[in-house]
Amino acid sequence: MSRRKIRFKINGVEKTVEVEPNKTLLWLIREELKLKGTKKACERGDCGLCTVLLNGEPVKSCLVLAVEVDGSDILTVEGLAKNGELAPIQRAFIEHGATQCGFCTPAFLIVGHWLINRNPNPSREEVVEAINGLLCRCTGYKPIIDAILEAAKYMRRT
Amino acid sequence: MFVNHEGGHYLEALKYVGKSITRIDAVEKVLGIAEYASDIELPGMLYAKLLLSPYAHAKIISINYEKALRVPGVVSVAVGDDFPFRVGLYVNDRNILARKKVRWVGEPVAAVVAEDLEAAEEAVELIEVEYEPLPAVLDVREALKPGAPLVHEELGEYAHSPAFNPIAGTNIANRFTLKKGNIVEGFNKSEVVVENEFYMPQVSHVQMETHVCIGHYMADGNIKIWTSAQSPFTVRYILSHSIGVPLHRISVYVPYVGGGFGGKAGINFEPLVVLLSKKAGYRPVKLELTREEHFLAAPLRQGFYAKIKTGVTKDGKIMAEKIFYAFDAGAYADYGVNVARAAGYSCTGPYYVPNIEAESLAVYTNHQWGTAFRGFGHFEFLWAIERQMEIVASKLGIDPVEFRLKNALLPGLTTATGEVLREDAGRVDQCIEAVAKELRWGELTPTNDPKKVRAKGIAALWKAPAMPPNAASSAIIKFNEDGTVLLSVGVTEIGQGTVTSLAQIAAEELGVPIEKIRVVPFRHTDLTPYSWQTVASRNLFMEGRAVIRAARDAKEQILEIASQVLRAPKDDLIIKDEKVWVKGRPEWSLHLKDIVAGYVYPNGNTIGGPIIGRGYFVGTRLSYLDPETGQGYPALKWTFGAQGVEIELDLETGEVKVLKLVSAFDVGKAINPMLVIGQIIGGGIQSLSLGMWEQYVYDDKGRMLNPNLTDYKIARAGDIPEEIIPIIIENPQSDGPYGARGVAELSMLSVPAAIANAIFHATGVNINDLPLTYENIWKALNKKR
Amino acid sequence: MLPKFEYYSPTSLSEALDLLEKYGEDAKIIAGGTDLLVSMRDRILKPKCLIDIKKIPELRRIEYKEGVGLTIGAAVTFKDILEYPNLEKKYRVLWEAVKTIGDMILRNRATLVGNICNASPAADSAPALLILDARARIINKNDGVREVPLERFFIGVKKTILKPTEIVKEVFVPEPPANCYGKYVKVMRVQSEDLAVVGVAGLAYRDRGDLIIRLAYSSVAPTPIRVKEVEEVFKKKNMSLDEKIEEAVKISSEKVSPISDVRGSAEYRLNLVKVATRRLIKELVEVV
Repeated sequence: MSRRKIRFKINGVEKTVEVEPNKTLLWLIREELKLKGTKKACERGDCGLCTVLLNGEPVKSCLVLAVEVDGSDILTVEGLAKNGELAPIQRAFIEHGATQCGFCTPAFLIVGHWLINRNPNPSREEVVEAINGLLCRCTGYKPIIDAILEAAKYMRRT
Repeated sequence: MFVNHEGGHYLEALKYVGKSITRIDAVEKVLGIAEYASDIELPGMLYAKLLLSPYAHAKIISINYEKALRVPGVVSVAVGDDFPFRVGLYVNDRNILARKKVRWVGEPVAAVVAEDLEAAEEAVELIEVEYEPLPAVLDVREALKPGAPLVHEELGEYAHSPAFNPIAGTNIANRFTLKKGNIVEGFNKSEVVVENEFYMPQVSHVQMETHVCIGHYMADGNIKIWTSAQSPFTVRYILSHSIGVPLHRISVYVPYVGGGFGGKAGINFEPLVVLLSKKAGYRPVKLELTREEHFLAAPLRQGFYAKIKTGVTKDGKIMAEKIFYAFDAGAYADYGVNVARAAGYSCTGPYYVPNIEAESLAVYTNHQWGTAFRGFGHFEFLWAIERQMEIVASKLGIDPVEFRLKNALLPGLTTATGEVLREDAGRVDQCIEAVAKELRWGELTPTNDPKKVRAKGIAALWKAPAMPPNAASSAIIKFNEDGTVLLSVGVTEIGQGTVTSLAQIAAEELGVPIEKIRVVPFRHTDLTPYSWQTVASRNLFMEGRAVIRAARDAKEQILEIASQVLRAPKDDLIIKDEKVWVKGRPEWSLHLKDIVAGYVYPNGNTIGGPIIGRGYFVGTRLSYLDPETGQGYPALKWTFGAQGVEIELDLETGEVKVLKLVSAFDVGKAINPMLVIGQIIGGGIQSLSLGMWEQYVYDDKGRMLNPNLTDYKIARAGDIPEEIIPIIIENPQSDGPYGARGVAELSMLSVPAAIANAIFHATGVNINDLPLTYENIWKALNKKR
Repeated sequence: MLPKFEYYSPTSLSEALDLLEKYGEDAKIIAGGTDLLVSMRDRILKPKCLIDIKKIPELRRIEYKEGVGLTIGAAVTFKDILEYPNLEKKYRVLWEAVKTIGDMILRNRATLVGNICNASPAADSAPALLILDARARIINKNDGVREVPLERFFIGVKKTILKPTEIVKEVFVPEPPANCYGKYVKVMRVQSEDLAVVGVAGLAYRDRGDLIIRLAYSSVAPTPIRVKEVEEVFKKKNMSLDEKIEEAVKISSEKVSPISDVRGSAEYRLNLVKVATRRLIKELVEVV
């Protein structure tokens, strides 16, 4: 199995890494780059906790090969806050109690962030549709939905 | 509020208690920097992979792992006989890895330890095991029959806690019996007698974080563990007991836990990784279960069977109840024996029943081993009791809400164990009434579609912490030199948010702004004050009291110093706004920061020293239960509640949609309403999910057919009701911290029964077996036709 | 973790076909990977080589030509389909079916051609494609393109007529009948997101006043199936509409052969076929 050199940008930083083809993007993020915010919880696309933005679109990183991201731009939860300032979605999650055990939080933040940047005025249904691919066992989703709607409001204000 | 409570007297309006402040761990969590066990990597760390049994019950004839050892990167392979230790919370029945025989499909048989996970995965597939299949027992009722295959032939030889009695030569891991009043007389006085059977399957906790642990057995004989466990002190204690290493040589570190729900309450894979570490040359070994392994090899919630006979008068008074509960404990007893016991002593639900005869069994089968699950047996038996109450009410022609209120267990009445409910106990009647009101009980919503019906259902609930009478909590409050505070507690942060509430209590007690209090975010048995376990909705109550005592201890020390400096008696001093004042003389005051590390006079003379407050709490006058009659005082506090739903049911497909979910709990005092509501909503949806969809589906060989989240369905965002209404009721319990009681488990106890009761109202069809899948509902409706 | 394999990402179709020719059965095509990588992780598939077709421009093409039809390239994602202008109106039944597949995040990666080639009986896009008379355009190195109606494409559970050296280059969906109305009914185990316990795609239109109904199903037979016999029923003259509907329900329930599995029993699935067929036809008839 031949290793491949890939170049990509993650959270604004250029990286060059050699990977084996059978490694996933999730593996690349957690094991190679040691960014532990992105979580592993099923590795078959069911739970969505490994979701990151790949070229601006959410993907479940357990179902993307690392070699496929050559030339791509990746955003993980670690890239949301800038210059010590929390992103609107992060502020809203704190204020709405949208995090409990916190294990699913990074994935919901990433998808919420993506949604409100794409559509700063989403309906409740659109929020639900966006997060239907993600699992949370603690919150019952309602606080998460409320937080995303609230974050959209922040976005509209600024 | 200016009430005087034992738990926290306050003469002024509360500043922090009762406020919805945001979680103290939220920033770490939204930044993605909160540490979980799976995120931890250590120098020289090795990775373990398990080989799981393909048989439910089989003799292990031989294991050959020569080929596995030859895989590059493999350091060690271990099998059961390498680790001749038994482990168990209450009954010492579990092997570290299977020995002599396997007892369920998924039991770990061997473990490979390698430099990387890929090598371990490759090697584990090369291990050859020869089995001789044995007859398996896959149903809890079958397991009780004479002549059933025995899951543990040596049951009589196992060491066990005196509170439990495994019956040698049977599959009974524990038998709990309870007798109250005179059952014969009770049924004689009854005019209507109703008997029903109920059932529920095994389910998984589906914590988003699977079980993860790292063990490091060091060459000097000390042991370090990093683990996603709820109860570090229990991990330490049971491990010590099991492998004979004293407590002071074992350190257990617990970072944030990615969901517990009881599944991580005890001791799971920690002994395995510790022993693997020793075998692999004293290097740290990490085990992280995949989701499939989590479904197959990690403990689950037990299956449950119930038979309930209820005698009532025509005007709706419950006179007698004969109860039989059988929990499918699976291969090992673990918490299962205590779950059955807890269900046994709470067996009636929140109702006054004068005459009771109850039996609650934990039964070994060749299923995966069962453990604690949020609710600890109450989710299970309340399904049965709350369905039974509905059926009884309908037989009597009495409105089910009215029937429940008529029999509500109110202060002054006796519980099943003969405990007189304390005068400041919670009020189940108020909870039921609140839910009924919010649901507009009695008003029907018609549908336009003749194929669909709408209906409402209600179910009540109660629970007390199931814990030994000596279960303890403690707290340490350390002042820093600048007057800020470090609060150390043993409760782990598993998502419930208790530590935020404890910080609020500490701030309130100390008169220090909450921003200046930091709760130590990890648990480390070397440093953290003892806490029995993070379970049972007990920690806000018990740690809460311990924090109050620690704060008062610290204040006492501060006042001692301040009294000398200010030349005023201690009882003339108050602590407020980070200062010590002479009452009525704000100009005669000292900053806390000038006292908490010792007060320095202008000439350098110093008095006092670093302030460390400590406090502990154990339940007052809790007792063991009588082994025959189950009578005694087991309950620190009872939390009561009720849940109700409005549903829409498709009569042709069985599809049910819960349109509205209402839950009310008497929490005594909501220390942090946002956190309480978070528990109520989250628990409500977990309950709905468990009730409607979740189940282990087995084939006839005991193999799980749905060990993944594609086919083991849990609720997603698109599954939640449009309306979710949490109701907080506050009748304070005077020995609770600021009057509070726990709510975490309570939030998920009765949604399934409420849904089934609504289906009953819509169709007249009683469904007594969970889950309420669309297909199961359709089948039940079809049977009636 | 995934088993080891070699990875290629050709930038032209001919390069991809060469690789297929070379590796044959040892190679697998990867586009979205949402099914393939799961099967590989479960060790159901252990290909020696993966050929990633996402960098081949002509396979990324989705194009609708008025009066001709819709061409969906092998690397076109469900997201691309959902966002393509006017498809929601023009190919409503397909659009609806695509919208029920997985979740929004998976649809960013998963492809329609992948859905077809995976040949799961539960493939949600298949019933819609069947009633729209879709055709798979298959290519190999030596013989050029052949076009196969989708009905002949599926031959069993996870089995298609595709040879190891062939690629489905694209799916072609002809222009739907004028003024047709289509709908996909998917019964799941939950409200949110699931594989179909039963899926029914229906298409209705009027041909010179005569009602034409087409129906196809997922999850009730070894392959997704179109029940053509139903179409004859609605051409009959001497029956009331209600009688025709009941006749159609009867025929469909006889033609399907559901099994019992962890997602549903045969008995329940058969009931769903009946209920969903009846409801679907009634709704279609009301619209056209």
